[in-house]
Amino acid sequence: MALDLDSIRADFPILSRRLEGERQLVYLDNAATTQKPQVVIDAMNDYYANTNANVHRAVHTLAGEATEGYEASRTGIASYFGAPRDNLIFTSGTTEAINLVAYGWARANLGKGDVVLTTEMEHHADIVPWQILSKECGIEIRYVPLNRETMTLDMEAFEIAVEDASLVCVVHTSNVLGVRNDVERIIKLSKLHGRNGKGAHVMLDAAQAAPHERICFPELGCDFLALSAHKMGGPTGIGALFTTTEIMETMKPFISGGDMIETVTLEGSTYQKGPHKFEAGTPRIAEAFGWHAAVQWLDQYNMKEVHAHVSNLARWTAEQMENIPGIHIYGRHDLETTSGVVSFLHENIHAEDLAHLMDAGGFAVRTGHHCAQPLMEALGVSSTARASFWIYNTKEEAEAFVNHLRGVVDRFS
Amino acid sequence: MNEWPAALQEIIEDFRDCFDRMERYELLFEYAKRMPYPLPIEDWTEENRVQGCQSEAHVECVIDDDDRFHIHGAADAQLVQGLMAVLAIGVDGLSPNEVAQLTPKFVDEMDVKASLTPSRANGFLNLFEMIRAEAEKHAK
Ligand SMILES: Cc1ncc(COP(=O)(O)O)c(C=O)c1O
Repeated sequence: MALDLDSIRADFPILSRRLEGERQLVYLDNAATTQKPQVVIDAMNDYYANTNANVHRAVHTLAGEATEGYEASRTGIASYFGAPRDNLIFTSGTTEAINLVAYGWARANLGKGDVVLTTEMEHHADIVPWQILSKECGIEIRYVPLNRETMTLDMEAFEIAVEDASLVCVVHTSNVLGVRNDVERIIKLSKLHGRNGKGAHVMLDAAQAAPHERICFPELGCDFLALSAHKMGGPTGIGALFTTTEIMETMKPFISGGDMIETVTLEGSTYQKGPHKFEAGTPRIAEAFGWHAAVQWLDQYNMKEVHAHVSNLARWTAEQMENIPGIHIYGRHDLETTSGVVSFLHENIHAEDLAHLMDAGGFAVRTGHHCAQPLMEALGVSSTARASFWIYNTKEEAEAFVNHLRGVVDRFS
Repeated sequence: MNEWPAALQEIIEDFRDCFDRMERYELLFEYAKRMPYPLPIEDWTEENRVQGCQSEAHVECVIDDDDRFHIHGAADAQLVQGLMAVLAIGVDGLSPNEVAQLTPKFVDEMDVKASLTPSRANGFLNLFEMIRAEAEKHAK
């Protein structure tokens, strides 16, 4: 069954927004953040209008409803990812989730002699925490290179490097290339050969994967899964780290204060068990309600169909763009698994100029290094322009985009 | 309405005559080619780099023996270089005093500010401020 795009689009109020000169917005910056369906906006508004109270503390009616709703969100979101509720630690997003792995788990469990294996394809969120930690506790970071021919990870290099690795941190789907790494194989190899045969821990950065495929945390078999709500129709400011109860017990909190303790005396404190140990302070309550609404909204659709739709749009667009003189595309749009991202440059129009010229036609695309400077270096560029599609984008929008781009190249190159 | 130096006023009117944003961009691309003293890439240094631009932009101010102000500069993005050229042409040959008294409001009148993102607009303001501060240093 094809997706009913009219009905999907009708759920997103922002898509009917007109820009300067009554131009229709064509939103193609979904890899940065997706738009939000009305149900998400309503869930958050309704929470503030009718329920707002702090959670886990007071006995009054509102506090009870807020706590119930917040914890129901944890259950609902966890179950969307096939996981029990106590595997979900709320964070501010993927970035904080990865930092929690670094400061909560790695700092407590790794040290001199341990290798953290990551890749050239990572977002800065999966590079910088390791660099800081390596200065602090002597872990060594190694990077699996990008195969510049195939635009995929060099899996031969991975197979060799994984043997020494204690922790493997890999981006599930690249925010620049749209390429999906073979995470199943990466996990398998890490478990079989990592840490010299004892098995390495694996962290997946699934920020760009969750909007594209149904991820089942227990089925994947990784140890840590980092996500952001805002890239899958949910609000900004919230995300999650999924990990198991056993691993949580080996982790130390890296943000501390209220809500995460059992008892506090002036001599010391004992901590809550499970996810709460890592959720100090008043949590993101409205955001949890919003994210819960987003996964319920997404749950109406078969993610295989969503992926096929988005990936076909990107593939079609990339193919058309190949025919525009001077345009270079980065990525692999011939692969079925590639997401909705098309990174491109023009030989003699600067990426930033391109983005402005596209914006003048109502097309929201992004330019820059996409927080992946090592990958830019591997590609031999300093930035790219990037169009990224999601569930509500249409073939007409893709056509209009290609036409406007063709016009821009005609006029400005 | 502000009073602008004659050369700048002329440019502002050029932009006002444009039909839409694409045409204003086209004109900025044109201006980018007319940079009176392009700064060759070998001369791009950390000191003359404009902060806050997404792309790279460099600018140097030269005061000649007759106390006339000239802007040398270049950028890798044409829209940035275009804005730089508008300023360079608009103030070329004025005295440092005159340049020091300019405000960046002329971009509003060119109607291009609305078409620049905050980061670009900030980059432009930084560029403008760098030039104005240089002029102030040499003002009598
Ligand atoms: C692959 C990848 N990892 C991590 C992040 C960081 O996500 P957030 O900014 O939501 O923490 C992003 C967002 O751009 C991303 O695309």
